[in-house]
Amino acid sequence: MDLLLNLMVNGLATGMLIFLLAAGLTLIFGLMDVLNFAHGGLFAWGAYCGVWVYGMTGSFMTAIVGAVLTGVILGYVTERFIIQPVYGNHVQQILITLGLMLVLSEMLKVVFGPNQIVAAPPDYLAGSWQLGDVVIIKYRAFIILVGVIVFALVHYVLKNTKIGLTVRAGVMNKEMVQALGINIKKVFMLVFMIGSAMAALGGVLLAPYSGVIYAEMGMDFAILAFIVVVIGGMGNFVGSLFAAMLIGLSGAFMTYFVPDLSLAVNMLLMAVVLVVRPQGLFGAKG
Amino acid sequence: MLKHFNKSPVWVLISSAALILLPFVNDSRSLMIMITQIFILAIFAMSYDLLLGYTGIVSFGHAMFFGIGAYSTGVLLSRFEPTMLWLLVSIAVGMVVAAIVSYFVGLLTLRLSNHFYAMLTLALAGLFLVVAEKWRSLTLGNDGFTFRVPDVMRDRLSFYLICLILMVAVFFFLMRLTNSPMGKVLLAVRENEARTQSLGFKTIHYKLISSVVAGVIASLSGSLYVLSLRFVNTSVFALDVTLDALLMTILGGVGTLIGPIIGAAIIEVSHHWLSELGKSYVIFERWIIFFGILYILAVMFFPKGIVGTVKEIRWKKKRPSKVETNNKNKRIAG
Repeated sequence: MDLLLNLMVNGLATGMLIFLLAAGLTLIFGLMDVLNFAHGGLFAWGAYCGVWVYGMTGSFMTAIVGAVLTGVILGYVTERFIIQPVYGNHVQQILITLGLMLVLSEMLKVVFGPNQIVAAPPDYLAGSWQLGDVVIIKYRAFIILVGVIVFALVHYVLKNTKIGLTVRAGVMNKEMVQALGINIKKVFMLVFMIGSAMAALGGVLLAPYSGVIYAEMGMDFAILAFIVVVIGGMGNFVGSLFAAMLIGLSGAFMTYFVPDLSLAVNMLLMAVVLVVRPQGLFGAKG
Repeated sequence: MLKHFNKSPVWVLISSAALILLPFVNDSRSLMIMITQIFILAIFAMSYDLLLGYTGIVSFGHAMFFGIGAYSTGVLLSRFEPTMLWLLVSIAVGMVVAAIVSYFVGLLTLRLSNHFYAMLTLALAGLFLVVAEKWRSLTLGNDGFTFRVPDVMRDRLSFYLICLILMVAVFFFLMRLTNSPMGKVLLAVRENEARTQSLGFKTIHYKLISSVVAGVIASLSGSLYVLSLRFVNTSVFALDVTLDALLMTILGGVGTLIGPIIGAAIIEVSHHWLSELGKSYVIFERWIIFFGILYILAVMFFPKGIVGTVKEIRWKKKRPSKVETNNKNKRIAG
């Protein structure tokens, strides 16, 4: 029983990290029709910058702020100088974001060195709680908590504010929103920056969770995020949460019971979804 | 008839005749090995261009098919006798596996938007890399293994000629394919899929054929690649391999067959050059950065590539008068 519970907490924590990555991806895709293959690079940059700030200041909260700022800045630069020039051409967009992904992860090796970097959680998040015979590791609970807060915040903004309304309208019909006198380009940039910030936040939260960070981790997590985006439905924010939980849990249970098959199972899930419901498990329309 | 005759095949024949003579004139071994590599990578890049340039499908997992060919040749030759027969069997096995995989990948994603094919191939190539690393009893993981090759392939000169012949054969096969009615439909799909569909073509069939042919040819190039090294490890599945194909195609010229060959030559030569520089300057060890930046700049400012740009300039030079009369006609009509 406690094993199952532990695996569940573990899976939910991983799922939350994947959610932070996939949510930005799906929002950007829904609004801008851009599938950002460089998203994993932003995730890795968030992790490296966060760990660097943590090492410099010793405060984990500052590290989180630093990572989010990195995400916002990189998001701005990416949108303004890489995505905007090729806007409207799908093939070019897909090609260019993959190039950016490679440049971003190679730049990490130049700036921070090619070796793995060790990261540990701060003292107040290290250790675990003991509830009867169930052990809950504090840091995992912290990740789940942060994930829930971010989800609630973004969901609230999307549903209840003017800007959220604009974004939702933009997902449905960009031209119409523009015809109503709203500068949709500004909205694009804002959403791209928020998506990047969420990816960077996911990266810095991952660092103490896995213990080490390395330049290629962006790609590893990006592949999981793509699977989540397909399962949850491209452009579906709420769907990406459920899909991320599904992938996180299946990953946690599979790595415990049949470790070699964990990625294969996720791929199989994606293949089944593509055959049965290409609009995603939680998608309303195709 | 002669007016519409395309000159590029003639140039390919002339230059390949020159390339046949080259090893007899210049006996530098390292140069011959490098040119052999260029032939092999040109086959790979041409197969990629069939997808990207002629059908408008973006694949981020072309390394997967390259690796399938590489491993089927490597594994079969190391398990069985290194004879010509087993070599052909191993190449055929690679092609069949690549055809099956590309068929199913295409079946799953080609009826959806471009993004799905790019995503699924990226993820699947990642899966193949993981499998190759984990299945150590077969592949020995990242350490890889060496194997013996048939005597004909051991001789660098005959291998050079075989690769040259295969490259020219693939070139003419793809030229025939892209100039056939089917190839015209592929171009139509690239330009406007919805419209092609409304003209009554089942575009998914055409896209599937394109995907399978590209996969099979990529597998052939993978087989040749490990034959030249006599060694195979998991790096054949790496994303770098796909990136190389992308760079060669985009730099050389998307939607042409000469382009990928020229691109392959440029990239392979600069690989050598940059790794030489890397010995003296540390920054050049991270040459992927340069390729990545070059690639981004090429996509942004140079999307037609070398061959495409040259063609455009020549086209403009040839018929300035015609354009003028067209404008005049428009003015009259307007």
